[in-house]
Amino acid sequence: MPKIKKKRLGFVIDMTPMVDVTFLLLTFFMFTAKFKTEAEAEQKFVIKRPYASADTSKLPDKDIAIIKVGIDTLTGDTSYYYTIVNEIQRRQVYDNLNLTAEQRKPQVKVSLDLLDQLIMQTRITGPRTRFAIDGDRRVRYKWIEDAIDVLRKNNATAFNFVTEKRQ
Amino acid sequence: MAGGGGGLELPERQRRGKKHSKRKKKKRLGFRIDMTPMVDIVFLLLTFFMYTTTMVTPQVMEISVPKEVEENVEVNQANLFTLYVRGDGKLFFSMGADEPQPLGIGELRAKAVELNLLRKNKLITAFKPSPDAPYGVIVQVLDILNQAEAEIIRQLRAEGLKRERKFAFVKLSPEEVEKLKGL
Repeated sequence: MPKIKKKRLGFVIDMTPMVDVTFLLLTFFMFTAKFKTEAEAEQKFVIKRPYASADTSKLPDKDIAIIKVGIDTLTGDTSYYYTIVNEIQRRQVYDNLNLTAEQRKPQVKVSLDLLDQLIMQTRITGPRTRFAIDGDRRVRYKWIEDAIDVLRKNNATAFNFVTEKRQ
Repeated sequence: MAGGGGGLELPERQRRGKKHSKRKKKKRLGFRIDMTPMVDIVFLLLTFFMYTTTMVTPQVMEISVPKEVEENVEVNQANLFTLYVRGDGKLFFSMGADEPQPLGIGELRAKAVELNLLRKNKLITAFKPSPDAPYGVIVQVLDILNQAEAEIIRQLRAEGLKRERKFAFVKLSPEEVEKLKGL
């Protein structure tokens, strides 16, 4: 008799297996989560990358400078943005070019002229820095062509196009 | 939760039961911690992380261009395979000095493989994208050519040849832009 009462009172579903699985998933998602960098958090555009078939080479996260060609979500204007991932190198480059306080952001909106100077300084301060062009698939090729010409001018003849895997 | 409240309560008999092995077993069986609050929070976190993660990591396509030298290289016209991309994203090709002909993007791969196998390593691919063409199409074409490359390497290896890829980005001249417009 007391047995029945106890069962009703303490009626609990055994959640252990569910909790096990949930924790497993939680830890998986927590470890794989990659948070936005400072530069990405303040940018006003989303890059829709061009599609390419699956490739094993991933975008390196060290010793890299990224030239972004983005379309502003509000105004619809296309412009170049430049990011040097290495902070020490970035400070050096900015110092060498005497950039104004306003321009000293992790990701600067640049003209083709300034892009040229920035790339040159990047090459000087870190000869091993690799370059990547991260362009929106909707932009005209002219933008990319000009960026390539600037890279060529600075002797950076091997670079990367950032793409997205076709689903 | 009406019935879940009793999770943490330990019956008085439990502590005493340690001395008696028979009783102890019974009580251990009934011992439960109420996991509901923990499960609530874990699920909350799980949904948060699931919604915020993006599974697609960007990948890269390696590109290399020749150094900036103002020096024209003589090319045998017969071995020149020119690929044009018009401003609207349409694809054209020509062999040597021929007139450009339209080419569907689906036929490109087969065409590249066919021509390369025909001329072996002598074929030079000149890629002439129009400045107005969408960048997405350019990357798509490069991607298809890269895929064709794998096929070419395989076929040439079967013939005992080593693949030497000859590929270049070439700028479209104003006359060519006009010519493509008329097609």
